[in-house]
Amino acid sequence: MSNARIIRAPLDPSVLLKVVFLAVIAIIVMVPLLATLFGGFKSLGELRVNPFGLPRQWEWQNYADILFSARYWQLLRNSLIISTLTVALTLIVASMAAFTFAHIRFYGSSMLLSYLTLGLLFPAATAVLPLFIKVRDLRLLDTYFGVALPQAAFSLAMSVLLLRRFFKDIPYELLEAALVDGCSYIKFFRYVTLPLSRPILATVGTITFVNSWNAYLLPLVMLNTDALYPWPLGIMIYQGEYSSEWHLILAFITLTILPTIILFLLAQKHIVAGLTAGAVKG
Amino acid sequence: MARRTASVSAIGVAGEMVPQVTVRGPSWDGRFTVLILFLPPALLLFTLFVVLPIGEAAWYSAFNWNGFGRPTNWIGLDNYRFVLETRAFWLALRNNGLIIAVSLAIQLPLALTLALMLAERFRGAVALRMLFFMPYILAEIATGLIFSFVYDGDYGLVASIWRTFGAEPPHLLASTDTAMLAVLIVIVWKYFGFHMMLFIAALQSLDKSLIEAARIDGATRSQALRHVVIPLLYPTIRLSVFFAIVGSLQLFDLVMPLTRGGPADSSNTMVSFLYNNGISRMRVGYGSAIGVILFAICVTFAFTYKRWFMRDE
Amino acid sequence: MRLLGKLGLAVVACLLGAKLAAAETTVKWLHIEANPAQVKIWEEVARAYEGSHPGVKVEMQFLENEAYKAKLPTILQSRDRPNIIYSWAGGVLKTQIEAGVLDDITDSVKGYSDSLTPAALAAFTSNGRVYGLPTALSQVGFLCNKELMAKAKVDPAGIKSWDDLLAAVKTLKAAGVTPIVVGGADKWPLHFYWTHLAVRIGGKAAFDAALRGQDGGFAGETFQKSGELFKQLVDLQPFQNGFLGFKNPQAVGYFGDGKAAMTLAISTVYHLQRALAADKVGLNEDKMCWFDFPVVTGGKGAPTDTLGGITGWLITKGSPKEAVDFLKYFVSKEVQTRLAAGNFIIPVVQGADAGLNNAFMKLIAANLAKSNYHQNFYDQSLGPSVGRVVNDVTAEIAGGSMSPQDAARAIEAAWKQGN
Repeated sequence: MSNARIIRAPLDPSVLLKVVFLAVIAIIVMVPLLATLFGGFKSLGELRVNPFGLPRQWEWQNYADILFSARYWQLLRNSLIISTLTVALTLIVASMAAFTFAHIRFYGSSMLLSYLTLGLLFPAATAVLPLFIKVRDLRLLDTYFGVALPQAAFSLAMSVLLLRRFFKDIPYELLEAALVDGCSYIKFFRYVTLPLSRPILATVGTITFVNSWNAYLLPLVMLNTDALYPWPLGIMIYQGEYSSEWHLILAFITLTILPTIILFLLAQKHIVAGLTAGAVKG
Repeated sequence: MARRTASVSAIGVAGEMVPQVTVRGPSWDGRFTVLILFLPPALLLFTLFVVLPIGEAAWYSAFNWNGFGRPTNWIGLDNYRFVLETRAFWLALRNNGLIIAVSLAIQLPLALTLALMLAERFRGAVALRMLFFMPYILAEIATGLIFSFVYDGDYGLVASIWRTFGAEPPHLLASTDTAMLAVLIVIVWKYFGFHMMLFIAALQSLDKSLIEAARIDGATRSQALRHVVIPLLYPTIRLSVFFAIVGSLQLFDLVMPLTRGGPADSSNTMVSFLYNNGISRMRVGYGSAIGVILFAICVTFAFTYKRWFMRDE
Repeated sequence: MRLLGKLGLAVVACLLGAKLAAAETTVKWLHIEANPAQVKIWEEVARAYEGSHPGVKVEMQFLENEAYKAKLPTILQSRDRPNIIYSWAGGVLKTQIEAGVLDDITDSVKGYSDSLTPAALAAFTSNGRVYGLPTALSQVGFLCNKELMAKAKVDPAGIKSWDDLLAAVKTLKAAGVTPIVVGGADKWPLHFYWTHLAVRIGGKAAFDAALRGQDGGFAGETFQKSGELFKQLVDLQPFQNGFLGFKNPQAVGYFGDGKAAMTLAISTVYHLQRALAADKVGLNEDKMCWFDFPVVTGGKGAPTDTLGGITGWLITKGSPKEAVDFLKYFVSKEVQTRLAAGNFIIPVVQGADAGLNNAFMKLIAANLAKSNYHQNFYDQSLGPSVGRVVNDVTAEIAGGSMSPQDAARAIEAAWKQGN
């Protein structure tokens, strides 16, 4: 944090205050995360006397045991399957709907659009019991689809809005020209709209993915077999089993949030833009 | 899927013949195909898993039903009475109020202050933005677990700080007096970065010339901030408040690993109350009644808020 | 949509197919046993059964106690449900029977069921039909740590009345010993106090009257007084620091670590504490003591009345016949004797108690034999939703956020709501 301005005016108290303030916040944000990372490298005994510092004795075993366990990979695999299904469903269904709303004027169009945006008003939790009954009656309980379908349904509203706004910006002349050239709406959608919309599709996909990857309530209610559990469920069970063996729990937490952090570092532009832009139109 | 699309586009191509005849632009037929093919999946998915369950919640809430088979025991509005008579419900409502209050009184000013500092360009600013945003992308479950370690009375960070001062470490999450406070701290820790990003995005799209004009007119930095920048940020502030409130109404994942809503229901939110009393006991009627109440709160809030504060958007 | 449905079915079929390809019957057995030593014997039994029954595979699944209770209603409704599930009998079982999610196994256990202790079998019988088999009995009482009790000069044998207990708590505190450890976050360990007090104060008569809604039901005098006496104890702050945040396994481990003088627990904790202690060794038998829940002066319950569990296994709807067959094998005299000899259970098969070779387990067996009124855990016997309210309100009394009177009224209100 070597600020150019600090060097110019090192005695300016307001700048000093600012630096101190930022440093304090940065420490508050970082300490729990670093303590979790390093905690996984300690023995339980050391954790008790030295929760903050670097491990005196690096216990690679904690991490190795988890990384070599089938359990960890199974959790990640399940999460990946559910999130991928959700993203695929959302992108296909939402982009088709958004295309219709963007390019075709028909009676009731705005009414249907506001119908869809109802989904922005309340969280999935409000109707989770009837949702459970519904999924049960569809015989989808304890399947990946039992989680992915409702998740996709709840992410539709936001996705359709974001996509429609982007699709509308595709010049109308382009569509007209294509139609005159004998290209159908559907071909236009497939060969023009979708390729042109890669950035927004990536953004919508990323938001949906992150939300689904982190989701807890729906899998908790819909899944019963631990072979199908995504990682948030699995880590809660793990914590229940190893109740006080914090060094193992911390190692497990670190390894399960690692994919999120890597994804964040790789795709930070999409994530920040997506989450805040999605927000702006909320 | 592929085969369907193919046959459809064949129809679509046939439809293209029409515009050349009528010279009215794109054909109705082509549009009609899109309409009947592209819209129904979304509508169906949405209706089936979002709208219908809400309607069914209203229906189920009139029954005393344990979720097996079909509901038969009609009890009218009794479930609503039971919910309103439950002390834990009011505690949960109060806690949601507390979350909103803390979001407004602490999180929002904090986020705004940081945004004003970090919207400027200096070395490290981007890194700090990312660092502060990081807690937001972590799963709430993971955050909750991390903090249940931080607060742990035996091994936790807080306990260790206490012990260096020679005091008996408190079990913050195990006392009805402190559990909710502990949860509130985690909420601020996790979400301030998101609100900060909202403000930074808004600040960067501000018209800089307005601020410069104010400075040229002799306004001090703080005057310019108070009278020019903040008013320009009002829409974003309203949005940030909106998210804080909606977020509080659906908060659940964070509470479960920390306290499960306890001890003695002191840290339940509306959704964790719904989970603990409706879902985990499969009291479908009672739980649906809670859901309907929560739905009513959300919708009423959203509409009033839009009408009162976001009319211009 | 239909296409997606088909796609979903295809994926499911694919997953199922993989399992079916093995071409054998799988019996899925869901248990909640946290003691690895006992699970090991179960596994041996299952493998032995597989050995003598080719083509049958017994698959064990584990869920932690609390998670099991919360998940059970949904587990029972999913297609891939387990065939054998754990049960505490009582109202929860009644609800499951009414919901039609269990198999009536009366005919398959005919003749065989005569070998079981009648009272235990009765707990799994409804209207003359049998829905499960009991496996074990247990008693709730105070386990104590001899060294810590001696350190404070408290004689466990001298704790006969509730007032004795209160006095002991005060003495222990004065000596700097944590008197009692309890897993307050799970709530049910706290409900033992309230329930056992009710058993002592009102006896069987009061409980039966409350079920019929007489004498003010669960809001009546007996149950208010239970709360008041419990509050007397709570006001002494007898529990470990942060007790409302402890889950039961943590609390049992705490006792096993020798950090608290007493714990009100199910008799199985006597052995379970070893597995949950930090060093996996826990307290040796010569370091532990036991006393029955103290009597209440003027109480109508007999001192021999007991609170405890009658636990067993249920067969879920649509299970293969091998599931019952395996269960019969599991609840046989041979296996029960073996488990009794390992001091894991007080057996329910007649004659299997001969296997008990440990003074403590023999004592519990004798207590249960003497008991004319064995009250099942309230949180199970009152059914899933009312039972949970009992747990909620006892935790609230312990947390100081609800008065004993309000607590009793809340339970009565829940009972009237039914379900």
